[in-house]
Amino acid sequence: MQRRDFFKITAATGALTVLESCGNPDHQLIRFIPDEDLTPGEATWKPSICTMCGAGCGTLVRVMQAEAEVVRNGLLGTIKMGAAKKIEGNPAHPVNKGRLCPRGQAALQVTYHPDRIKGPMALNGARGSGLYQSISWDEALKRLMAQLNAVRENKSGLAVLTVPLHGQRREVVYRFTKAFGQDVPVVEFEFLDRRSAYYANMQSFGYHSPVVVDFSQSNYVLSFGADFLGTWNSPVAQSVGYGEMRKGRPGQRGKLVQFEARVSQTGANADELVACPPGMEGAMALCLAHVILRDKLRPMSAGGAATSSIPGWTTGLTDFAPEKTAALAHVDAAKLVRIAHEAAASGPAVAIIGDIATAQTNGLFNAMAVNALNELLGSVGKPGGIQFSAPFAVGDHLGSLSIASQIASLDRSTKVLLLNGANPVFATPTAQGVRETLEKIPFIASFGSFLDETSILADLVLPDNSPLESWLDDTPESGTTHLVASVAAPVMSTLHNTKPMPDVLLSVAQQLGGDVAKALPWKTYDEAVKASLAQYQKQTGGSVTGKDADDFWTKVQAAGGWWSGESAGMPIHASGKANPAKNVAPQFDGDASQYPFYFLPFASQMFYDGSLAHLPWMQEAPDPLSSAMWSTWVEIHPQTAQKLGIAQADLLEVTSQHGTLQAPAMISPGIAPDAIAMPLGQGHEQYTRYASGRGANPISILAPLTTENGALAWGATRVKISKAGKGKLILFGGSLREADIQNEPR
Amino acid sequence: MAQKTPEQINDDLLRPLQATSLKYKLILAFFFAIVVAAGLAFAHQIDYGIGVAGIRRPVFWGFYITNFVFWIGLSHAGTLISAILRLCNATWRRPVTRCAEVITVFALSIGATFPVIHLGRPWLAFWLFPYPSERGIWPNVRSPLLWDFFAINTYLLGSVTFLLLPMIPDFALVRDRAMGFRKKIYSALSLGWTGTPKQWHRLETAMHIMAIAVIPVAVSVHSIVSWDFAMAPVPMWHSTIFAPYFVAGAIFSGIAALIIAMALLRKFLHLEEYLLPIHFENLGKLLLVMSLLWFYFVASERLTAWYGNEPSEMTVLLLTQRGSFSPLFWTMVFCNFLIPFPILAIKKFRTITGCVIASIGVVIGMWLERFLIIVPSLSRKYLPYAWVTAPYRPTWVELTITAGTFAAMVMLYMLFSKFIPIISVWELKAGQHPEAEGAVTGHKLPAGSEAGAD
Amino acid sequence: MARQWGMVIDLDRCTGCEACVVACRAENNIATVGDDQAARGRAIHWLRVERYYEGDFPDVKVKFMPVMCQQCGAAPCEPVCPTFASYHTEEGLNGQIYNRCIGTRYCSNACPYNLRFFNFYNASWDKPLDLQLNPDVSVRGVGVMEKCTFCVQRIKASEIQAEAEKRPLKDGEVRPACVQSCPTRAMVFGDLNDPTSEVARLARSNRATKLLEEVGTLPQVTYLKRDSWNGAENS
Ligand SMILES: Nc1nc2c(c(=O)[nH]1)N[C@H]1C(S)=C(S)[C@@H](COP(=O)(O)OP(=O)(O)OC[C@H]3O[C@@H](n4cnc5c(=O)[nH]c(N)nc54)[C@H](O)[C@@H]3O)O[C@H]1N2
Ligand code: SF4
Ligand code: SF4
Ligand code: SF4
Ligand code: SF4
Ligand code: SF4
Repeated sequence: MQRRDFFKITAATGALTVLESCGNPDHQLIRFIPDEDLTPGEATWKPSICTMCGAGCGTLVRVMQAEAEVVRNGLLGTIKMGAAKKIEGNPAHPVNKGRLCPRGQAALQVTYHPDRIKGPMALNGARGSGLYQSISWDEALKRLMAQLNAVRENKSGLAVLTVPLHGQRREVVYRFTKAFGQDVPVVEFEFLDRRSAYYANMQSFGYHSPVVVDFSQSNYVLSFGADFLGTWNSPVAQSVGYGEMRKGRPGQRGKLVQFEARVSQTGANADELVACPPGMEGAMALCLAHVILRDKLRPMSAGGAATSSIPGWTTGLTDFAPEKTAALAHVDAAKLVRIAHEAAASGPAVAIIGDIATAQTNGLFNAMAVNALNELLGSVGKPGGIQFSAPFAVGDHLGSLSIASQIASLDRSTKVLLLNGANPVFATPTAQGVRETLEKIPFIASFGSFLDETSILADLVLPDNSPLESWLDDTPESGTTHLVASVAAPVMSTLHNTKPMPDVLLSVAQQLGGDVAKALPWKTYDEAVKASLAQYQKQTGGSVTGKDADDFWTKVQAAGGWWSGESAGMPIHASGKANPAKNVAPQFDGDASQYPFYFLPFASQMFYDGSLAHLPWMQEAPDPLSSAMWSTWVEIHPQTAQKLGIAQADLLEVTSQHGTLQAPAMISPGIAPDAIAMPLGQGHEQYTRYASGRGANPISILAPLTTENGALAWGATRVKISKAGKGKLILFGGSLREADIQNEPR
Repeated sequence: MAQKTPEQINDDLLRPLQATSLKYKLILAFFFAIVVAAGLAFAHQIDYGIGVAGIRRPVFWGFYITNFVFWIGLSHAGTLISAILRLCNATWRRPVTRCAEVITVFALSIGATFPVIHLGRPWLAFWLFPYPSERGIWPNVRSPLLWDFFAINTYLLGSVTFLLLPMIPDFALVRDRAMGFRKKIYSALSLGWTGTPKQWHRLETAMHIMAIAVIPVAVSVHSIVSWDFAMAPVPMWHSTIFAPYFVAGAIFSGIAALIIAMALLRKFLHLEEYLLPIHFENLGKLLLVMSLLWFYFVASERLTAWYGNEPSEMTVLLLTQRGSFSPLFWTMVFCNFLIPFPILAIKKFRTITGCVIASIGVVIGMWLERFLIIVPSLSRKYLPYAWVTAPYRPTWVELTITAGTFAAMVMLYMLFSKFIPIISVWELKAGQHPEAEGAVTGHKLPAGSEAGAD
Repeated sequence: MARQWGMVIDLDRCTGCEACVVACRAENNIATVGDDQAARGRAIHWLRVERYYEGDFPDVKVKFMPVMCQQCGAAPCEPVCPTFASYHTEEGLNGQIYNRCIGTRYCSNACPYNLRFFNFYNASWDKPLDLQLNPDVSVRGVGVMEKCTFCVQRIKASEIQAEAEKRPLKDGEVRPACVQSCPTRAMVFGDLNDPTSEVARLARSNRATKLLEEVGTLPQVTYLKRDSWNGAENS
C-alpha cells in the first residue's frame, strides 16, 4: 500500500467513526478531526476532561506529531498523527485549578493500552471463554439491530448496565432506553456508591448530591473516615483547598482531626487521629454535638432542619454523652470533649463523612448525624463549611433500590443487555451471584474498551473510543461552587477501529426509526453536547461569551468548558420530608467471637475502586502508605501480628462467612488492633496482561449487607485470619520508621 | 638439607619443564573448562544486560567488586614481599621469591578484569584511558577509579619487569639444555645472556632499583583501592584508616596465598628438598604478625565508629555485628584471627600443614572482609526509606565468573611452572654454593656479587 | 550572575498523594520494569515520597517527604564519575550525560540519598504505549545511570521561549512536571540567585531545613518542616 494512501486515510480516520451514521462527510471532517496540522516537535495543548473518577477535573493534553502503527481498512501501516503525550490540569478549570491526582496523570495509558479492544468482535466460543472473532462495524451493528428490533417488538427485554454516566451521555442513554419502554432498567454501577450520603443530604438539606467542602477557609476539619485527600468525592479540588488551609493564610493554619479505624491517605496527614470503630462515626459526631449543646458552646436553635431527623436532639442527645460513646468506641472521653470545644471555638469548622462511614448498615444515620453536627457548627452554606453547587440532583433517579437487587431484577425479563464499562462481577460480593445473574441473559452487547470479568460475558463487543478520542462533557457536582459545564472535543483521532458509544446509539436510533429516532433528535453526539450548552450562552458573567451559538460553541471548546463567574452556592432548604434516622447501632456480618476482626476494604490511591489496576504506571507506583507495587496486602497491627505470630509478608488466609482469600501481611502501625484492611484493585481474574491473576479481591468475600437505603454496606463484614505460609510483598520503601536506624527494619 | 651439586639442582628444578604427565593435562583441562564457563557467563551478561547479576538498588556493587579488591589484595604476596626480602637480604627467600612474584602478576591481571566485567557498558571501558578522542574530553582525574586504572597498570608493569629480570639467567640455562624450536624461543628470552661479570653486575643493580621502586607502588595500589570506598560519603566507608587497613589486609591475604601456592608446588613438583619447613615457618611468622595487625585495624575501625555513635554508621556497624550479616562477620573473625592466631603463635603447630590450614582460613576470611565492607554499607545508607528492600544475592552469573577467576589462577600457575623454573635456579645455587664459580655454563658468578656475600 | 535553580517543598502542604511521582514518570519517559524486576529492587522512581511512621495506632503520626535528586552544590556523585557523565552545570544542576555513562554505578554509591537509578536492562514499551514517550527526553539504554534532572528540558524550553520573545524569564515560569502537578502547591521551583523569587523567599523561612545537611552536600532543595496546629506563628 502506498504511503500517500495512508495520508488520505489519516484524513479520514476521524470521519470513519461516524460516516455510516450521518450525512455530509465533509461537514463531519471539519468537526470530527482534531486539528492535525502539527509541526513536528512542536506541542499543542488541547483541553479535555479526566474521566478516571467522577470528580470531572479539567485537563490540558499535550499533543505532538508522532508516527503511529495503526490498522486502517484491515491494513497495518505507519501514519503521522497527533498523539497525546502528557496530561496536566487545566489551570482555568474551577474544580482542579490546573492540578491532577496520580490517576489522572495515568489516563494516557488507557488510550495507549496494548490490550485495548481494537475493533468490533463477536463471541466465537463458550461464554466467558474470551474467544472472539473480529468482525466489521457493519456486521456488528447489523447484529445489534437484529437484537434491538426483537426486544422492540415484544416491548420489553432491554436493559442497560453502565458506569455512572456524565453530561449528555446520560441524556442519550436514557432517551434511547425510554423509547424502548418506560420501565427499561438502567443500572449505573460503581463500587464506591455514595447514594447513602446523597440521600442523607436530601433528607437534611434538600439536595440529593455530594457536598462541596470549602477547606481553603476552614479552621477546623472533623473528618469521619473521609479520605478527601485521596479518593473521596473530589480529591484534587479538596487537596488544593487543603493546601490553602494549611499554609495559604499567613498566621492561620487549620486543624484536621480524623476519625477512623485505619489510617487513610488523609488520616496520615491529620493533626490528630481519633480511633473510631466502623459504624460509630455517627455516634461520635453526635457525642461532639452533645458536648457542644451541654456546655452551651452553641445554642440548640443553631441546629435547623438537619437536626430534626436526629432522634433525641431536642433532649440534648444524652444517649451520646462522652462517657457512653467513649466506652463503646474505646477512646478517651476527655479527648472527645476537648475536640468538641476546639471545634466550637475555632470556626469556621466543618464535619465531613467518608465512604467507610456510609458503607455501614447504619450509613444513612452516620451521614445524617454528621450533617446535623455541621448545622450545629454553623458551617452549612458558609465559607469554610459545606455547600451545594449543583442545581441538578445527582443519581436520585437511581432510587434507593440496592444495586444488587437492580442487577438481580435484570435477568428475569432481560433479553438484551447493553453493557457500558461497568464491572459488577468484580466489584460485587460473590455472595450476590451477579455473574450467575448476567450469564442467564440471552444477549449481552458490550461497549467497553477492555475485556474484564463482566465484559467477557458479552456476545458482541462494540468498543468505545478512549476518552482522549471522544467528545466529552460533564457538569461536576462537587469540587467547586461555581456552576461548571466542561466540554472537550477529541484531542486525537482514533488509534484503533473503534466508535464512540453515544454515536453508535444515535446511529442505531436513526436506523431503528420511529419513536426511538424521534427521542434522539441529534445526528451526532457533539450536536447533543452543543445543544446542552446553549442554555449557558445567555448567562451573564460566565467564563465564555459568544456573539452567536456557533461562536460560543467554538470558544467553549477552546476553553474546555463554561463556568459561572461568581460562586453559585445553593440556598439550603429543608426537604420537609425528613424522616428520623433508624439503625443507630451498626450491624456486622459474622459473630465477633468467631470472626474477631473488622474487615476494611479501602479505595486505593492508585487503583481507585479497582478499575485502574490495568494501568502499568498505577501498578508500579508505590502505594503512598505501604510502598507496595504490583501486589496486594493485608494491613495488620504490630501487636496483633505479634500475638498471632505473624511476620511481615507472611501469607494470610482471610475468611468471612462468605468466602476466603489469601494475601501477604503488611504489618502497619496505621490500623486498629481489632481490624485488618485491604486495598481495592488487585485480584482481577481477567483484566489485561498487567492486572490479571495478581493478588486477591477483598470485595469477593464481603457480606451482602446493605445500608438503610439499599447501597452495599461494604464496611460491615467481620473476618478471621490464619497464617498460610510465606507470601510475596513487593515494596519500594526500605523501612517504615526513621527510628529503625540501628535496628532491623520492621 | 643434603648438599646438592649444581647438576642435581638443574635436574630437579628443570624436570617439570621436560616431562608432562597425563594427570597434569587432565587437571589443566578441568580448570580450563571452568574458565571457559566463566567466559560464557560474561558473554551472557553482555548480551542480556548487567541485570543478570544480583546487584540492585541501592546495592550497586557486589561480588564483582569484592573479587576485584580480593585479587588485587592477593597480588601483594609476591613483588612486595620478595622485594622487601631481597632488600633486607633474607637468604631464606631464595626459593620463594619467584613463585611469589608470579602470584602478583597473575592475581593482578585477574583482579584488573573485574572493573571491566562489572561495568554496565563494558564495551566502553576504554573511555577510562586518556586518549585524544573526538569527544574532546579526558577521563575525570578526580575519580578514584581513574587512580585505580593508573596505579594497577603501573604495578603490573613493575611486577612483570621484576619477575622477568631474574629469569634471564635461568632462560639461558634452559636454552643450553633445550633442542630445536624450544632452544630458539629460550635463546630469544635469555637476551644473549652469557654470564659475564658485567651482565651479572647490571642484573644485580637493576634488581636493586626495581626492588626499591616497586614497594611504594605496591603500597599505593591498595591505598587507592581503599579510596574507591573511603572517598565516598558512605557509612563505614568514609574512614581515614582505610588505606593502611587495606594495605595490611592485602599483604595478609598475599602471604596466605603464597603459603598455599608453595605447599602445592612442593607436593606436585616434588620440591621437598627446596621448599623447606623453615620457609613455611618464616612465612608463618610473617602471617602471624599480619593477623595481629589486621585485628588491630578492624578493632580500631569499629571502635571509633561505635564510640562515635553516628546513627548512619551505627546502623551499618550493628547490621554486620549482630544484624543479618553477623554470621558472615563472625566467620570472618574466626578465619582471619581465631584460626591463624593459635596455630601460628604456638611453635609446634607452625608446621607446613599448620601454616596451610591457617592460610586457607585467611584467604576465605579476607574475601569475606571485602564483601562485608561493600554490601552492608550500601544496604543501609542513610535514609531508611531508601534501604535495600530485597537483600543482595549473587546470581549464577556472578558465581560462575567468580569461580572462573580462581580456576584461571590455578591454570596460569600450572602453565607457568611448565615453561619456566618456578624456583630461581641460579639464585638457589648462589645461595647453596658460594664457591660454585662457573659451575654451569651461563652461571659464572662474579666475585663479590651478593651471591658470594652470604 | 548565572541562575541557580532550586526547589522548596513545604511538608506542611504535602499530603503524600504521589501525583508528582506519576507526573515525573510521564514527563521523563521513565521505564516500567515490571513486577519481577521491581521485586529485585530495580523499580525506577526519580521522585519518591518517603513515608515514615511514628508510634502505633491510635497514637500514630505519619510523615511524608517527596525526595528527588537534591542537585547538590557539592555533589558526591560528581567527582567520582570517571567519565564526567555526572557533572555540574552553570545553573546549579547536577547534570547527567547518558551517552557518557559507562555504568560503574560509583555515583549511585556516592549519592547519600540513593537518588540515582540504573538501567539493568534495555527498557521496552509494549506497543502502542511507546506513543506516549516525550520526544523532548531521551530514552535510556542498558547499563546507564539516570536520575531527576529538574526537568531540564522544561527549563531549556522556557529559556528559549523567553529569549525568542526578548524578555527575561518570569519567576515561576519554569515548572517541572512534579511542581506543575502538585494539588497542594507543596512544591515551588525557581532561581535561588534572585532574592525576590518565591523560591528564594521561602528558602529563607524559619521552617527551612535541608536533607542530610550533615553530609555536606549543599542541596538545592529546601524542605519546610511541618507545623503543629498552634504553630501558626511559623509561616
Ligand atoms: N583550618 C583548621 N585546621 C585545623 C583546625 C582548625 O580549627 N582549623 N583544628 C586542628 C585540630 S584542633 C584538630 S583536632 C584537627 C582535626 O582534623 P582531623 O583529624 O582531620 O579531624 P576531622 O577532619 O574532623 O576528621 C578526620 C576524618 O575522620 C573521619 N571520621 C569521622 N569519624 C570516623 C570514624 O569513626 N572512623 C574513621 N576511620 N574515620 C572517621 C571524618 O570523616 C574525617 O574525614 O584539625 C586541626 N586543623
Ligand atoms: S480526581 Fe483524579 S481521577 Fe478524579 S477526575 Fe480528578 S484527576 Fe481524574
Ligand atoms: S504531589 Fe504534592 S502533595 Fe502530592 S505527594 Fe507530591 S508534593 Fe506531596
Ligand atoms: S542528590 Fe545524589 S544524585 Fe543528586 S546531586 Fe546529590 S549526590 Fe548527586
Ligand atoms: S555510573 Fe555512569 S555516571 Fe555514574 S559514575 Fe559511573 S560512569 Fe559516571
Ligand atoms: S523535577 Fe522533573 S525530573 Fe525531577 S522529580 Fe520533578 S518531575 Fe521528576
